[in-house]
Amino acid sequence: MDQWLNPYYLQIVMFMLINAMLGISIYFTLATGQLSLGNAGFMSVGAYTSALLSLKAGLPLYLSIPAGGVAACVLAAVIGIPATRLQGIYLAIATLGFGEVVRVIILNMKVTNGALGLSGIPALSVQIGKQLNSLGLGSGLGGITVQQLSNLSVIGLLALVVIFLVFFALRLRHSRLGRAFAAIKDDEHAAEVTGVDTVRYKLLAFFMSAFVAGIAGALAAHITFYIGPKDFSYHRAVEILLFAVLGGGNVIWGPLLGAGILTLLPELLRTVADYREMIYGGILVIMMIFRPQGLISEETLRLWRSKLFPAAKTEQEAVARRSAG
Amino acid sequence: MISMRKSMKKFGAAALAMLFTVTAAGCGGGSTSTQGGTAAGGTAKIGVVSYLSGGGAAYGEAIRQGLELARDEINAKGKVKIELVIEDSKGEKNEAINATNKLIHKDNVVAIVGPTLSGEMFAVGPIASQAGVSIMGTSTTAEGITDIGNTVFRNSLPESLAIPPAVKKAKEKFGLKKVAIMYSNNNDFAVSGFKTFEKAIKENGMEIVTTETFADKDTDFSAQLTKIASLQPDAIMVAGLYQEAALILKKAREIGLNVPVVGNNGFNSPQLIKAAGSAAEGAIVASPWYPGKDDATVKNFIAAYKAKYNKEPDQFAAQAYDALYIIADALEKAGTTSDVKKVRDSLAAVKDFHGVTGNFAFDANRNPAMDVTVLIVKDGKFTELK
Amino acid sequence: MLLQQVVNGLTLGSTYAIIALGYTLIFGVLNIVNMAHGEIFMIGAFVGLMLVTKLQTGIFTALAGAMLTGAVLGYLLERIALRPLRRREVSHLAPLISTIGVSIFLESLALKIFGPQAQSFPPVFSGQLFELGTLKISIIQIVILAVSFGLMIALRFWLAKTKMGKSIRATAENLETAGLLGVNTSQVIIVTVMLASGLGSVAGVLVGLAFNAVEPTMGITMGFKGLAVLILGGLGNITGAMVGGLLLGIAEVFSVAYGESSYREAVAFGLIIILLFIRPQGLFGSGSAQGGR
Repeated sequence: MDQWLNPYYLQIVMFMLINAMLGISIYFTLATGQLSLGNAGFMSVGAYTSALLSLKAGLPLYLSIPAGGVAACVLAAVIGIPATRLQGIYLAIATLGFGEVVRVIILNMKVTNGALGLSGIPALSVQIGKQLNSLGLGSGLGGITVQQLSNLSVIGLLALVVIFLVFFALRLRHSRLGRAFAAIKDDEHAAEVTGVDTVRYKLLAFFMSAFVAGIAGALAAHITFYIGPKDFSYHRAVEILLFAVLGGGNVIWGPLLGAGILTLLPELLRTVADYREMIYGGILVIMMIFRPQGLISEETLRLWRSKLFPAAKTEQEAVARRSAG
Repeated sequence: MISMRKSMKKFGAAALAMLFTVTAAGCGGGSTSTQGGTAAGGTAKIGVVSYLSGGGAAYGEAIRQGLELARDEINAKGKVKIELVIEDSKGEKNEAINATNKLIHKDNVVAIVGPTLSGEMFAVGPIASQAGVSIMGTSTTAEGITDIGNTVFRNSLPESLAIPPAVKKAKEKFGLKKVAIMYSNNNDFAVSGFKTFEKAIKENGMEIVTTETFADKDTDFSAQLTKIASLQPDAIMVAGLYQEAALILKKAREIGLNVPVVGNNGFNSPQLIKAAGSAAEGAIVASPWYPGKDDATVKNFIAAYKAKYNKEPDQFAAQAYDALYIIADALEKAGTTSDVKKVRDSLAAVKDFHGVTGNFAFDANRNPAMDVTVLIVKDGKFTELK
Repeated sequence: MLLQQVVNGLTLGSTYAIIALGYTLIFGVLNIVNMAHGEIFMIGAFVGLMLVTKLQTGIFTALAGAMLTGAVLGYLLERIALRPLRRREVSHLAPLISTIGVSIFLESLALKIFGPQAQSFPPVFSGQLFELGTLKISIIQIVILAVSFGLMIALRFWLAKTKMGKSIRATAENLETAGLLGVNTSQVIIVTVMLASGLGSVAGVLVGLAFNAVEPTMGITMGFKGLAVLILGGLGNITGAMVGGLLLGIAEVFSVAYGESSYREAVAFGLIIILLFIRPQGLFGSGSAQGGR
C-alpha cells in the first residue's frame, strides 16, 4: 500500500490527469474536423492568469483557476473568429503560430517575469494540506501521512474534472450539438447546405477546447510551483496532438489512453535513458504503420461492446436505427 | 491474398523501422549510468538531474563528466564511496520534477546534484525541501534560488558577484563611456545576467546606447550587430551562453566591430575560444574558475579531465566536479550515507574547502562565498586582466 | 546601414527559402508536411562537416556526400514512414505524426553520434569577405543566394518540361488518375522525396557554412522557419517558397533594425497569422484554402 503512495507515482498520476484534460481539449476541435494546435498557447494563458491572480492579487485558487479558463476563452474569441475560416493544414500552422506569438509576448512582458518565469506559485497540495490540518487530520489518517493525503486529494480533484469532461463529451455526442459537430466533420459543405450554422458550431468547439486547455494549464501551474515560457513551446503543442493521434481522435477514450501512455512511456524508458528519445520516435512511426487511426477507434469500441455485452447488442442497433431514421 | 501481401509489406516496413531503432540504439557506445551495487554498506547514493538531451545537452554533458570524474577519484581514495544515479531532465520542468521525485522516493538518494537550469530548480527545489533532501545546483545562477527552501544549495557563483567586477575592471582598463548590451531573452540565466549588467553599467556611470536581444540557438546575429555598429559603442556587454557568444564574436569582428566584449558566466569555456578562434581576442569575463591558475588542484583536474574525455574542461565541468567533492566532504564529516538530515547540516557547515574553483564556503543562505578573477582572452587563452 | 540590413535580410531569407523548397516539393506531390525535413537538413550539415574535417575532402565532395546521404535518408523515409501509410481511409494526420517520429529519432541519433556541441567548418571555407564600399557580403552568402535561385529555376524548368517533371505534376494533381494514365506513381514519389531530401542536405551544408554552427537541434529551429515560409508562400508553390523565404528574412532583420529585437521570434508567425486572415491561400497559392485535406 505505502509503496503505491510513493510521491513519485502520485506525481506521475497528476501529470497523467492534466495531460488527459489537454487530450480532451484537442478532442473537441477534432470533433468538428478542425486541427487546432493552439492548445499550448491557451494552456499558457490559463496557467499565467491563474498563477498571477493567486500570486499577485492573492485570489484563492478556487477562483483563480476558473479565471484561467475564462482568460483562455477570451483569447480564443479574438483569434477564433478569423481562424475558423481556415481549414486543414492552414489552420494547424496558423494556430501553432498563435502559440508561438503568445510565448514571445509572455517572454517580453514585465508582469510574467520573462524567461525567468514565475516561481513560488501557491501549490494545490499545500493548500489542501492546510485545510486537512484545520480539519484535525494533521497527523494523517489510518497510516497515511497528511502529505500523501493531500496529494491524493489533488488527484481526486483532477480525476473529478476529467470524469466530468468525459461525461460531458459522451453526452455531447448524442446531443443536437454533437450531431452538428459530426456533420461538419464529415463534410462541411454538405452540413452548411443542410442548414447547419458551421461557423457558429466550429467557433463553439474552439471555445470549449480553449477553455479546457486554460483550466488544464491553470491546474498544472498549481501542482508544479513554477511556470516559465519554455513549458509552453512548440514541443508541448505537438505533444498534445500526439495524445489524440496515438490514442485515437474519434472517440473520447482515445485521447485519454494516449495521454496515459505518453506520460508513462518516458518514465518507463528511464532505464534505457540514453536511447529514450530514439525509441519514442520509433514507436510513433511503427504506431502509424499499424494503427494510423489511433489505438481506439469506433470499431474497437463496437467490438468490445459486442464481446462484453452480447445482450445489449440488439438494443444498440435499435438505437442506431432510430437515430439514422 | 492481396490483403495478406499488404500486411506483409506493412510488416516489412515496421521491421525495418524497428531494426533502425535497435541498431541506432546499439551504436551509441557504452555510456551507461552507474546502476551497479545497491547502497550496500558505506556507499552513498547521490542523485543527478542534468540536461542531457535537447538544446542544452552540451552543458548538461559537461556537468555529468565533471561529476563522473570526481566520483571515480573519490571512490579511488576510499574515504567515502559514492554511487551516482543519473537522470535526464531534457531541460523540461515536468521531466525534472519526475526525475527528482524518482531519485528521492524510489532510489532514496541522500543528496542531489543539479538540475542544470534555474527554472528547473524553481520547480524541483520545493520537492526536495519538502522531503528534506539536500539539492545542490552547479549552474543555477538566478536570483532567489536558495530562498526556495533550507535544503537548497548552490556552488555556482551568482551573477551579482561575477558581473560587476568584470564591468568595473573593463571600464577602468579601456575607459568605456557608452556600451551596447545583447542578451538571450529566452534563457532565464541570460535574462538575469542582463539585469545585473544593466545595474552594474549604471552604477559605473556609463551610457547604454541600445539593448538588443537574441534567442538561444540563434545563428544569425548580423541584424543586431549591424545596428550596434552604427551606434559606435566603446564595448558590447553580452549575457548568453558560449555557443551563441562565439557566433556573436565572430560576426562582430567580421563586420569590423573590434571593441572589447564583456560576457557573463556563459563565456567562461574553452569552447568559446575554440569556436570563435581569433575573434575571441578581447573577450572579458569574471569567474572563480580560471584554468591558467597556478594551483596544484586545478592542474591535476585539467590533466585528469583531458586524459579521460580528451578535451579541456569548462566552468560547468569544474563546478560540478567541485560540487561532488563538497558533498563527499560533508558525507565524511557527517559520518553517514543515508541520514539526509545529518548530510544537510554537515553540508551547510562546509567551509575552508579548497576546490578547483578556489576557496569555498557556504554563506548563511547556502550561497557560495568565493573569490572571482577577471579574465580576458589573449593569444587564444584566458589570462588574468590586470 | 539600410543597405547592409537589406543584404543581411536577403542572405537570411535565402537560407529560409532553400529549406522551404524541400518542404514545398514534398507537399506539392504528396500533400503532406514532412516534419522530418529539418532533421534531414541537419544530418546533411553534419555529413558535410565530417567529410571536410575528418576526411579532409574538398567542399564540393562534401556537398555531394551530403546530397547522397540526404537522398538515401529520403528513400528510407519514404519506404518506412510514408509508403505504409498511403492507403485508403487513413487520416491526413498519420504522415504528420510518423514524420514527427522520424524527426525525433534523427535528432537523438545525431546527438548520440555527433555530440551536443555546436561545431563549425574550418574558416577556409567561410571566411572570405566581399567588400563593396561600406557593404560587407561574405562569399558564402552570395553562393547561397545563387544556389537557391538556381534551384528554383531548375526545379521549375524540370517540373514544366521534362517527362519526369510532368509525371510529378500529374501525380500531384491526382494520384489515382495519374496511376490510371500509366504514370509510375510510386517511382515518382520516391524520386520526389529523395530529391527534396538531397536538396535539404545540401542546404544544411550551406547554412552550416554561412552561420558557422552545426548542432543536432538546428533542424528544429530552421525547419520551423521553413514551415512558416511554406504557408507564407502558398502550399506547394515553388516561386512562393522563394519569395516567402526572402520576405521573411527581410522582415525579421528589419524587426531588429527598426523595431524591437525581442519580438523577432514572433515575426514569422505573426506574418502568417495576418496573411492567412487576409489571403488564406498564401501569397502565391491559388484556389481554395482546403490545404492538407
